[in-house]
Amino acid sequence: MTAALHRLLSSSVLMVWGSVLCWVYFSGKISAYLHPSFRIYTAIAGCVLVLLAFLLMMFPADERADTSGCEGSMVGSLPGHLLATLVLIGPLLLAVMSSPDQFGASTVLNRGYVESVAELPGVVVNVPEPALPGEEATQESASVSEYLARNEKGEIRAEVIDLLYAAQEPSMRPDFEDKSIEIIGQVMPAQSANADGSRFNLVRMFMVCCAADARPAAVTVQPPGEVDFPQMTWVKISGKATFPMVDGRRIPVVEATDVQKTDPPEELFIY
Amino acid sequence: MPDDISWFTFNFQDFSFAFLSILFEGVPFLLLGTLMSGLIDQFLPARLMTSLLPRNAYAGAAVSGLLGIVFPMCECGVVPVIRRLIAKGLPASNAIAYMLAAPILNPVVALSTYAAFRGQSPEVMTAFRLALGYGVAVLAGFAVHNLALRTVLKPSILADIAQPRGLDTGRSGGVGFRLAAALQVSVSDFLDMMVYFTMGCAAAALFSTAVNQEIIAPLAVDPWLATASMMGLAAILSLCSTSDAFIAATFVSFPQVSKLAFLVFGPMVDLKLIFIYTSVFRKRFLAGLVIGLFVVIGLICVRLQVIFLVP
Repeated sequence: MTAALHRLLSSSVLMVWGSVLCWVYFSGKISAYLHPSFRIYTAIAGCVLVLLAFLLMMFPADERADTSGCEGSMVGSLPGHLLATLVLIGPLLLAVMSSPDQFGASTVLNRGYVESVAELPGVVVNVPEPALPGEEATQESASVSEYLARNEKGEIRAEVIDLLYAAQEPSMRPDFEDKSIEIIGQVMPAQSANADGSRFNLVRMFMVCCAADARPAAVTVQPPGEVDFPQMTWVKISGKATFPMVDGRRIPVVEATDVQKTDPPEELFIY
Repeated sequence: MPDDISWFTFNFQDFSFAFLSILFEGVPFLLLGTLMSGLIDQFLPARLMTSLLPRNAYAGAAVSGLLGIVFPMCECGVVPVIRRLIAKGLPASNAIAYMLAAPILNPVVALSTYAAFRGQSPEVMTAFRLALGYGVAVLAGFAVHNLALRTVLKPSILADIAQPRGLDTGRSGGVGFRLAAALQVSVSDFLDMMVYFTMGCAAAALFSTAVNQEIIAPLAVDPWLATASMMGLAAILSLCSTSDAFIAATFVSFPQVSKLAFLVFGPMVDLKLIFIYTSVFRKRFLAGLVIGLFVVIGLICVRLQVIFLVP
């Protein structure tokens, strides 16, 4: 009777965990939590856990086998197993029910804005060789800009990270500088380069492995007038990309002509 | 830090979000480790490992530290494996050396470190990370060899060593029987480790969402403080060793040696690992191990800065 209860508890935990992992993966919610390269492992683990739950119920332990785990293991005694079941199922379900698919403003502020591409994980900025005499320094980038995606108004569809790159890399800057762009991100207060208090930051979370390590990449936006969106509101901005020098550092500033509330993009994070 | 921003701001939804993301990332690796532990329990003869490794305890620890190259495991998955290997008779010194080295001294980590530090002397950083990780792990193995087992391992693990199971109990059974038994051992180990892993993830999620990370910025100017704070940060963030280099590389204002300390200390000690380790080791030993690793890695890294004048 006790052995059957142990099996039932173990099987229930595996089934709940497996089901949650499978649901998160197959519903597409996984994209909010993990980098694409890690997602498939969640699906595999979910399926394996569901399979283990079935196998555990279908093939009870042979009496000859000592399969109780390590001596003194938490799941070795019935009270311990009940407690472990609570610890394993309770917080998981509570977190699944309460978890949003993106961070709120307090976490973004706690992590601090990343306003230079060199501070983004895994990003390398290549400083190009100076152009030789008579060589057209921007020839290559000018041709690259032809291939940048544009919206129906002909504005370049830029990402926050594109502008951070362009601020750092002289060879990339002409692709965006003084060009009309469309950019999507979340509104947060500007903490620097905002002397008159009229600017705000446009933020996208940059993920390396999972949401827990995501860093808020931010560019400064100069709005056309007063804007009053709550923090973390998704907005679509049309405007001109500029790269002024501020305190000896070149920073991206979008001189916005239009700021509209918009739906979140399909991929909430950038990678 | 602006005056109006507190150093601690708890938001339950953000906490849940970070908590789940760490869980979802880690569970597959923990599951892999526990599946391996079940197979080891039922199919690996107790004395096979000891017969393959050098008889000399120091040479055994030195060779065990290299096993990660052949059997790469992440820091979550390796604990159930060594727990089972110890129960199978692998000396604790060898197990510790393997446990601490495997998450660092493996091909995936070498590649990710090299990629993450492009433009920041990647060869040097990768070589130092692997060498220091291996050296410290083997040193820890040597130290454990000189300790009584009862001061290192939990009584439950010692009981398992005293009463070996599976193939070594003299019971016979076909492959099907052993597979079924391996499955049940794996499940038992998985549930056991998941309890600790869940608590560790909660602690890591709390720190990664609620604590303002600007509080560590002023520490970057002093090599001692920078190294200590980067190791502390590695322990708090509880990152996977395959990807932590990408995070470390972004601390551009911190000295290289402090990032090296982050990369060596983090895979050996972090919040979730401390919880997982308590399933194998005595708390007093664990406290000594954590402090010892912190001091040794910190001292070596700061010393490296002096020797090599690394910026």
